[in-house]
Amino acid sequence: MGGKVTCTLGEVKQRADFIVYWGGNPAECHPRHFTKYTIMQKSKFLPRGRKDRTMVLVDIRETKSAKAADIFLQVRPGKDFELITILRAMIKDQHVSDEQISATGLTRDAIDDLIRRMKAAKFGCFFFGMGLSMTRGKHMNSASLLMLAAEMNAFTKFVAMPMRGHGNVTGADVIMRWQTGYPFGISFNRGYPRYNPGEFSTVDVLVRGDCDAAFIIGADPGATMPQPAIDHLARIPTIVLDPHITHTSRLARVHITTAPQGIAAPGTAYRMDELPMPLKPALKSPYPSDEEVVRRINEAIAKKPFWLPDGRQSPNLWSTQVNQ
Amino acid sequence: MSLQVIENATCTFCGCVCDDIDLHYDDVRIHKADHACVLGTAWFLNHTAEKKYPMALVDGREATLDEAIETAATLLHEADMPLVYGMSNTTCEAQKECAALADQLGGLLDSHTSL
Repeated sequence: MGGKVTCTLGEVKQRADFIVYWGGNPAECHPRHFTKYTIMQKSKFLPRGRKDRTMVLVDIRETKSAKAADIFLQVRPGKDFELITILRAMIKDQHVSDEQISATGLTRDAIDDLIRRMKAAKFGCFFFGMGLSMTRGKHMNSASLLMLAAEMNAFTKFVAMPMRGHGNVTGADVIMRWQTGYPFGISFNRGYPRYNPGEFSTVDVLVRGDCDAAFIIGADPGATMPQPAIDHLARIPTIVLDPHITHTSRLARVHITTAPQGIAAPGTAYRMDELPMPLKPALKSPYPSDEEVVRRINEAIAKKPFWLPDGRQSPNLWSTQVNQ
Repeated sequence: MSLQVIENATCTFCGCVCDDIDLHYDDVRIHKADHACVLGTAWFLNHTAEKKYPMALVDGREATLDEAIETAATLLHEADMPLVYGMSNTTCEAQKECAALADQLGGLLDSHTSL
């Protein structure tokens, strides 16, 4: 399983007549998503706007987003993977038993109706949130929904897109892919990048106590991570860069205050559909930017002996990388 | 005093990264963020150019930026398996420096995506 059939939000705005939000609550978490891109906009292909579009919400409870939806499907908690697998089977007219369907909390009629509408759509789009990607099944849930979107293309145009939160988290994926070939969960401890979520992903590393120093930037794991992970951050030397004194700063050896991105620090941020946007800061901060501080730390480390014990020199990828 | 205006500024609070925000600001703070949603408005109005926090803290004591950078470099260099984590609320330019940092240290590199 791999690969994502996707598009930009501009295409969704212009063309998508069938929108499915799965495990997300845009009404409260991405308040302008409906009005700017998905259901409210009129376009050349959808001149009547909201009337030309159908919105489905799949979630474990009726959130505020359900009010905006034409159809709300309440899936039983932890049964997303099963429901997606059933949809993948039923779009191909494969047999699924009543028992298997009722285990998801939905009826056969509701699923038949959903499939009929999906196939009748001209341009369908799944938006999936953390309710799908961070519950039981995790990345396997996301992967199966991406597969469903890909397989729907046997019948009509269908795409999928994650609903990213946290500002520029999309940019982090893009930059890591560009610089290392992998999107997250990377280790350089053999001198070249290796990718293995579960082994190199932060929560796992911290809970096992694998790392002996931590550099935290633009995040507050001290407020969000499980307690054993926080305990390990407090045990090891932790360095924090943040515009505020955060929970993590309080347990860190070093805190450096930096200018907030987009408000006082210039640069680039990626939208959830992986379009880069230039930032236009309005204020002049008394603090340096993240970029400047990390660059200076890099320069200070470069003056020290390279970490390989046999004294081999740094491959210096970081100073010779392409700067376009 | 009349406020200056930046048109079509970019909001980085959530993944929508709306780029149609008009910011009305003076030297210290942003007073109005037209077109921004409730989350974006809070994001823009809650950050100011005031010096609310010390430049840096080392072991809980106030320190200069130079000291903090040198201490950070030493701690990271001494570690066998340093972790570089986060990168959500920062720019791509800083993220690229973070990738370079993990590379140079022979450490781990990870973001919120893995949570």
